[in-house]
Amino acid sequence: MTASLGVTARRAAAAALLSLAAGIAAAQSRSAGDLADLSLEELGNIEVTSVSGHAESLSTAAASVFVITADDIRRSGATSLPEALRLAPNLQVARADSGQYAISARGFNSTIANKLLVLIDGRTVYTPLFSGVFWDMQDVMLEDVERIEVISGPGGTIWGTNAVNGVINVITRPAGATQGDLASAGGGDRELRAAMRHGGALGSDGHFRIYGKADRLQNTMRANGSAVADGWDRTQAGFRADWGGAGSAFTLQGDAYSAKSEQRGVVLGTDVGRVEVSGMNLLARWTRRFASGSDLRVQAYYDHTDREDFAAFRPKVDIFDLEIQHAVPLGRHKLLWGGGYRHAHDEVLDGLVAGFVPPSKDLDWVNVFAQDEIELNRRLSLTLSVKLERNDYTGTESLPSARLAWTVSSSSLLWGAASRAVRAPARLDREIFIFPPSSAIRIVNGGPDFVSEVANVYEVGYRAQPARGFTYSLAVFHYDWDRLRSGQPPPAVIQNMIEGKVYGMEAWAAWQAAPSWRLSGGLTTLRKDLHLKPGSTDPTGPSALGNDPEYLWTLRSSHNLAPRQELDILLRRVGELPVPAVPAYIAVDARYAWQARRDVELSLTLQNLFDPAHPEFGAAATRSEIARSAFFKVRWTP
Amino acid sequence: MRPWALAILFALCLAPPCAQAQEEARAAEVRIKAAFLYKFCDYVEWPPAAFARPDSPFVIGVLAADAIADELARVVEHRTIHGRGVSVRKLKRGAPLAGLQMLFVGGADGTRLAELIAAVKGQPTLVVTESEGVHAAGSMINFILVDDKVRFDIAPQPAESGNLRISARLLAVARKVLAGPS
Repeated sequence: MTASLGVTARRAAAAALLSLAAGIAAAQSRSAGDLADLSLEELGNIEVTSVSGHAESLSTAAASVFVITADDIRRSGATSLPEALRLAPNLQVARADSGQYAISARGFNSTIANKLLVLIDGRTVYTPLFSGVFWDMQDVMLEDVERIEVISGPGGTIWGTNAVNGVINVITRPAGATQGDLASAGGGDRELRAAMRHGGALGSDGHFRIYGKADRLQNTMRANGSAVADGWDRTQAGFRADWGGAGSAFTLQGDAYSAKSEQRGVVLGTDVGRVEVSGMNLLARWTRRFASGSDLRVQAYYDHTDREDFAAFRPKVDIFDLEIQHAVPLGRHKLLWGGGYRHAHDEVLDGLVAGFVPPSKDLDWVNVFAQDEIELNRRLSLTLSVKLERNDYTGTESLPSARLAWTVSSSSLLWGAASRAVRAPARLDREIFIFPPSSAIRIVNGGPDFVSEVANVYEVGYRAQPARGFTYSLAVFHYDWDRLRSGQPPPAVIQNMIEGKVYGMEAWAAWQAAPSWRLSGGLTTLRKDLHLKPGSTDPTGPSALGNDPEYLWTLRSSHNLAPRQELDILLRRVGELPVPAVPAYIAVDARYAWQARRDVELSLTLQNLFDPAHPEFGAAATRSEIARSAFFKVRWTP
Repeated sequence: MRPWALAILFALCLAPPCAQAQEEARAAEVRIKAAFLYKFCDYVEWPPAAFARPDSPFVIGVLAADAIADELARVVEHRTIHGRGVSVRKLKRGAPLAGLQMLFVGGADGTRLAELIAAVKGQPTLVVTESEGVHAAGSMINFILVDDKVRFDIAPQPAESGNLRISARLLAVARKVLAGPS
């Protein structure tokens, strides 16, 4: 598509849903015999039934899965969800400015990236306007996060269209695991943050927690020393209540937030004011285990978001989502089936340069899916699955996949998968229009004939624990893409005229070098061979589909200096981005923490230690530099 | 996928259900608890007086829980605790309890438990149990199953009376930290 869409639209989206499958339950890819290498939190989070091999754990999942544990997050010093996502070697995380991020897996990264599905406790957080995430609207109390599962590769058969390149599942702890009080406060040269949580009992078998947090982000600077008006003030509060236990459990949770950027002043002759966002959501989930061993899960939520950004556009979106999943163990088969319904109503006011026709729309999605995991023999298991999802733009899309897992030995697993992945059209693809300020001429128009982007995806992976305390994982992937989004010279109509291949590798390893010292690292590589189809007049070509490094690697050292002192160092090397060019960079982050008293932890996190500032995304003239920063934090758990 | 393929998919699911889940869950619980027992030691400080000599091994006594003792012995085989070799002893009823750095008592045997705990009271022995309502009797860490997960409660007060220092990291992970009688 023409570059202008990427620049001005900022963000917009489509559909999909469905959270945690029974297949993905707990535990990192370590064999059960080495549970002692897990952290306390990880151990406490393993379901007794999942290590047993009855329910499946991630260690046997035939997919590229990385789990960020609560301990990883705490020790990284990350203060926001996107920063915590840097811990996953199978994600590309680029900070565009103080609050905006470009996050993707397996390519196509941009601030309106649209091929990665993100869920917070089962709630899909992307907007149907562009199938992507407004990262400046997503926040969680990081102390209450149990784990973040990052699945790279298509997850469509469980999670639906748009889980094309991956799924991020942010899972918070049950209320029973966050009892008592917690207060944390931190400050540094780039941000100020404070958060409080209180948890207590509700009757004989229930627990609750409530939390509140407030953050202030300092604005960033450009390379030429001028200030970017991207400082933010943000407040959020929420609660979670859980009743019951393994037999029958009920969860009710919700969040409300409000945030605003600083005044941005005059852009293209118009005062664009602040970005102001607010929202609230309420989710109920009921799980029931029947005597037959089957598990039923019913979830419904409502999500309201309001975004006022005159420089782009001003959407209000209400979403209602219902899903049902039933997992049935039947001898050598594990059957999972279910369905879902999603409704979105939006009203979008035009911004300075972009709007939608029609300005208001109701969209519905309906899906059914079934998955059967078949134990062919003791070592070989085959998972066949299919989802049928109906959307208002293209009708019914089918998302089949086949996965084979071969347990080579008790400590190694070889897996392979073939899937069809689909990104269904979002409002942006069909109905956006972009115009020069105060002009009636539309330079970009949504494509009335825009259809789904489709990929056939092949993956092979291997995970092993060759020695005690040493694990690694390797995956290679190949996407055959067709009907990717393309543009035209102005006045452009959005089309599906790009095709090609994307392939690469994801690898990571962890080594417990000593009882108090853990080393880990990851490497991803990516090649894109995309081109315009004959007949396309797109002047920009595939470069408008995302800006990706050819490689990215990380190294991490987690060291317990003494029983109450921790030192963590994270080194990250990101290859250069081609268009617009962003130089390769190395960033080194370090965190030192001291458990000063039983109830008090003090920590100091330094980011970007050896570099005063570097850009991570965007065109040179306008982009932010991400500066060196220091953050001091006190955490109190009476 | 075609409708017929979907039909085959469902047809594949007609096999007799297996009923080993209970047993497997118990085996998993043993493995998780054994791992926890080993991990706890990283987060507790013992006074130097707890050991006869600087190179004395770290001794864990396990009573009435042979499966956990076997699993724990496997876990510590090539590991150390605070730089010491580890010895896991299966204890018989009435065996002397002196010289243990950790004592794990399996099962829920109320009155016997109270006696055992009284026998090591004030000593630098970390007492871990897996029963309902034993903290009153002086247990320091007690396992419980919550939502099919192994969690634990901590009572720091009895540990302090034995000169053990439980780190805040461990307390932070506990389901409950029980205030002891002061």
